[in-house]
Amino acid sequence: MTHPILRIDGLNKWYGTHHALRQIDLALAAQERIVICGPSGSGKSSLIRCINGIEPFETGSVQVCGTTLTPAGGDLVAVRRQVGMVFQQYNLFPHLTALQNCTLGPVSTRRLSERDAQAAALALLERVRVAEHAHKLPAQLSGGQQQRVAIARALCMQPALMLFDEPTSSLDPEMVKEVLDTMVALAQSGMSMLCVTHEMGFARQVADRIVFMDDGQILEIAPPHEFFGSPQHERTRAFLGDVLRH
Amino acid sequence: MRFVATQRIAPAPPPRDAAGWRARLRLRLFRSAGSSIVTIALALAGALLAWRLFTWGVRDALFANHGPEACRAPGVGACWAVVGEKLRLILFGIYPYAQQWRAGCAVLLVVAMLALSTLRRLWHWPLLLAWASVLALYGVLMWGGVFGLSYVPDDQWGGLPVTLILATLGLAAGFPLAIGLALLRHSPRRGIGKAFAVAYIELTRSVPLLAVLFFASVMIPLFLPQGWDVSKLLRVLLAFAGFIAAYLAEVVRGGLQSIPKGQLEAAAALGLSRTVTTLRIVLPQALSAVIPAIVNVFIAFFKATSIVVVVGIFDLMTAANRAAADAVWQGFGTEIYLFVAAVYFAFCSAMSWYSARLQRTLPARGAP
Repeated sequence: MTHPILRIDGLNKWYGTHHALRQIDLALAAQERIVICGPSGSGKSSLIRCINGIEPFETGSVQVCGTTLTPAGGDLVAVRRQVGMVFQQYNLFPHLTALQNCTLGPVSTRRLSERDAQAAALALLERVRVAEHAHKLPAQLSGGQQQRVAIARALCMQPALMLFDEPTSSLDPEMVKEVLDTMVALAQSGMSMLCVTHEMGFARQVADRIVFMDDGQILEIAPPHEFFGSPQHERTRAFLGDVLRH
Repeated sequence: MRFVATQRIAPAPPPRDAAGWRARLRLRLFRSAGSSIVTIALALAGALLAWRLFTWGVRDALFANHGPEACRAPGVGACWAVVGEKLRLILFGIYPYAQQWRAGCAVLLVVAMLALSTLRRLWHWPLLLAWASVLALYGVLMWGGVFGLSYVPDDQWGGLPVTLILATLGLAAGFPLAIGLALLRHSPRRGIGKAFAVAYIELTRSVPLLAVLFFASVMIPLFLPQGWDVSKLLRVLLAFAGFIAAYLAEVVRGGLQSIPKGQLEAAAALGLSRTVTTLRIVLPQALSAVIPAIVNVFIAFFKATSIVVVVGIFDLMTAANRAAADAVWQGFGTEIYLFVAAVYFAFCSAMSWYSARLQRTLPARGAP
């Protein structure tokens, strides 16, 4: 593996006495796409939220693009500058237009001029195909459009790594595809991605490796054809049996 | 059984008797016999009251000033002449009569500035500068002592200029203080700041405004060293602002609590600083969520300025009392108080109208 842009070593996290993440080790190479799956409550979301410091953790370390986060803290600003994040509930700022959602970060943290930030944001909104809605408020957009704006907003910060926390889980079925298409296109452009998702079709198509988690622990890591073709851990087999049986 | 639609059903207007004002009227006011009786009874009572008011206030009223005796003639209704007679006393109190044009200008200036401030496209830094200059101008006009204007100490100010400046400056100074207190109290981090905010808000809210005003007007001078003198108006103004801040802070805190956690996480993930997150993400949403409650506090305190009468400040209400107490025009207090009520109503209804409009036009907090 080339030098990883993300490296998680011996990470443990507790919610009170509940051991939510247990001894997580994971590395992600530049331009690699990893999909994390597993049953709900298995710690998938907690794990990726530890990567950009939205959740604290108790032991271990996270290294992103040369910056290290430890339980004591670290340079959160540097990490967040490198890492974009897309949430399940979009979390767009409801009082700002799609365009303003995209320019606020670059203008206030990267010291871009309003004009440059707008040009860059419009190009990205074009790329996720919502440019015609640039001047609308989030409430005027469909869920799928909001999520694509959220992707553009994260991309505006020119991240080296994109985290997706179940980006299609709160979308109507008709809108899942438009968001997944956007993510596939992003993957094809060479973006490093870490995605928590239940979309197995997406995982099969895009992922370089699939991580299966249960009960706060990584149980299996495998390339898609092996993961779906010959899952090794019995929990993986049970999970896939439940997920793929339609 | 199988069904397949064969044609599209075109949208049609609703049936006539379900829509339109006749239908709505019937539905709301004449739905049943009981409802019809109540409607008719209330309509009659309302009409009677309106007629009595009209005959007293307009038909039999005296508008022209022919002295108090003309008003006391039998069959005469409202004596609006007294309002004209006492207008300048009511509006400007004991401000030197010959100089009252200055107080008038000061009022117009503040009212114009308040009106301008309602325009959202002017909400930029220059507006603050404009306010600063208007307040300076207000001071120059009211105090004088420069540009050939004679000096009028602020214990001779009175009436509307005092009410307006107490309300405007009290709210304007109380509001930022309230936001600061609310942010401190809402902060997840414990510390001196938070403890101070909690103590300040709880202590202030548990003391009557009356007591705070007495403290400001009577007690503070006792604590100040000899020769130090802060005018009573200024002391009362500060007390007022501090008191308002405690109430507003709790309203603002309610707004802060309504911000979903996801908003803060999104801001954090974008790498926004705490300052940017607070100023650009949290406060705009928090404040617009509690506009009705904020305006409620504003209206309550606009009227509460009339309490300053107890510490001898000559506001609009005090001036009205003075006017109504005139021995020559005795017995016409109703007219004077109605006029003053109309003045208060004009300002308060303008505030509530503006808050309704602001809520309609501010970007919606649109959670899907």
